[in-house]
Amino acid sequence: MRLRLTDRQVGVLFMLPFLVALLLFLVWPIAEAVRLSFVRYNPLRPEVQPFVGLDNYRFVLEDPLFWESFHQALIWTGWSTFFQAVIGVGLALLLHQPLRGINAFRGLLLFPYIVPTVVIALNWRWLFNSEIGIVNHLLLQAGIIAEPVAWLSTPDMAMASAILLNVWKYTPFVVIVVLARLQTIPTELYDAAKVDGAGALRRFRDITLPQLAEVLAVVVVFRTIWTFNKFEEIFLLTRGGPGTSTYNLALYAYDQSIANLRMGVGAAAGVLMLLVLLVASFLYIRLTGFGREDRAA
Amino acid sequence: MNRWLAALLYALLCAVTFVVCFPLLWAISTSLKPKEEIFRWPPTLLPERFTFESYRELLFGGSAASAPGAGTPPSDFFLHWFANSIIVSVGSTVISITVATLAAYSLTRFRFFGQRAVPYVAIMGYMIPSVIFVFPMFLTLVELDLTDTLLGLTLGYVCITLPFCLWLMWAFFRGVPLEIEEAALVDGASRLQVFRQIVLPVALPGIIAASIFAFIVSWNDYLFGRVFMNSMELLPLTVGVMHFFDGTHVDWGLMMASSVLMTVPMAILFGFMQRHLVAGFGAGAVKG
Repeated sequence: MRLRLTDRQVGVLFMLPFLVALLLFLVWPIAEAVRLSFVRYNPLRPEVQPFVGLDNYRFVLEDPLFWESFHQALIWTGWSTFFQAVIGVGLALLLHQPLRGINAFRGLLLFPYIVPTVVIALNWRWLFNSEIGIVNHLLLQAGIIAEPVAWLSTPDMAMASAILLNVWKYTPFVVIVVLARLQTIPTELYDAAKVDGAGALRRFRDITLPQLAEVLAVVVVFRTIWTFNKFEEIFLLTRGGPGTSTYNLALYAYDQSIANLRMGVGAAAGVLMLLVLLVASFLYIRLTGFGREDRAA
Repeated sequence: MNRWLAALLYALLCAVTFVVCFPLLWAISTSLKPKEEIFRWPPTLLPERFTFESYRELLFGGSAASAPGAGTPPSDFFLHWFANSIIVSVGSTVISITVATLAAYSLTRFRFFGQRAVPYVAIMGYMIPSVIFVFPMFLTLVELDLTDTLLGLTLGYVCITLPFCLWLMWAFFRGVPLEIEEAALVDGASRLQVFRQIVLPVALPGIIAASIFAFIVSWNDYLFGRVFMNSMELLPLTVGVMHFFDGTHVDWGLMMASSVLMTVPMAILFGFMQRHLVAGFGAGAVKG
């Protein structure tokens, strides 16, 4: 006999697996992370988990490495997002031109976005190798540098290389979103402006930029949050080194959990990261009103 | 458009494309060089002598460099890792997309309490750093005795793909008009029939697009694999190839060959994906 379900039951039934999964894969790990941040957890003796109150947070906040990582995370996030936004808008404008074969260029320029981080990190280590890397070779040949640069083993250069990697990989994200928005700007606006005698620069400033403003704001927030969270890009390229000069908060949390076996401290660092993100998003929502139903999709 | 302007734009496009593609072209070039040429200074731009020895080592094993008695060289595991990555990525994609499609349909066609909050909870989910998920998930898997298993890793990836699949499918279903479904319901079709015979075929492009994204996200992950997995033969590709750095001597030919082989499946998927990437999707449609 076939079971007859009412329409409403079908609706609930369809929703159930997701709600269960949401609890298991989102709510539960976060709740666990918060709980871990209040206990002392030694992976070698997991059965003993004494409650330690705010000790883990105190430890983190008194740790100079945490503040150093925080500072570096801001540098890493700020520059990466800045270059991604500027280059991304430039490329999107270029790819928006009605040229023959433009789709092939679009494909090639968006490609870095889906290249695995491990692959890019390996390639970067090879390109920027200080002894036999091609980048040093080309720069030496062009006379831009006089002697080989130790890209990944001097603090500033390591951070710059990591930011460059991030910009290379994620600028296509900005391009995708901005390009999609550019395609929805009505051409009549430009035609009308042309009739009124507005030059290319005026049209860009008075039509394109205002039309892009909203989507750019969204993109910058997404990129800021995701870049702030990034772990693999830095870990695989420099492991936070040389020394601790490219640590960000994600690396700090990871290191506390894995290398120092302080799961509780690592969790506390993670929760602090989350708080930073929450405060930043809240401020952003207050400032721009993004997140209202009509603008969400 | 002015001919000179067009020429200028093409020149600019070609220059940018070359710079963007250079790291990958260089990887291909390196992977085809014999070992001694790779270490030559100044470097040769194109291989003077083409060889597939790095690829052969990865695909058929038998590394020439492995000293006797040193155990199995990491490169011998390459095909295992490749298979693991496919199994795990397909697994998590199937789970996430099935659950997300059903839920997204329900969210856009029925009314219930808390409905409007669900997509926003999901989007919050993919703003949360993976470092926060990974250790609690790991400790849970320890309790369940699922660490160092492909199943455990698959479940880990659901953490990162599920919220994002829901958001995508939700955005997709919001754009699918209700009229045909309503007409079929009025004609006496059951909701399940409508879902199977009308909704799923219409939603297929969205499902494919979301699946490809989810697959890419799982395939590219490193953190979960690194924390969850231990045995050499069970590693995903991303974690495995980093073992090529373990020895004292770094074999760049092997590295670049594995880079190329890891990127090929992504390139194929990207070919299918490109149309969807450029047209139509808004800011929520991509993750990174």
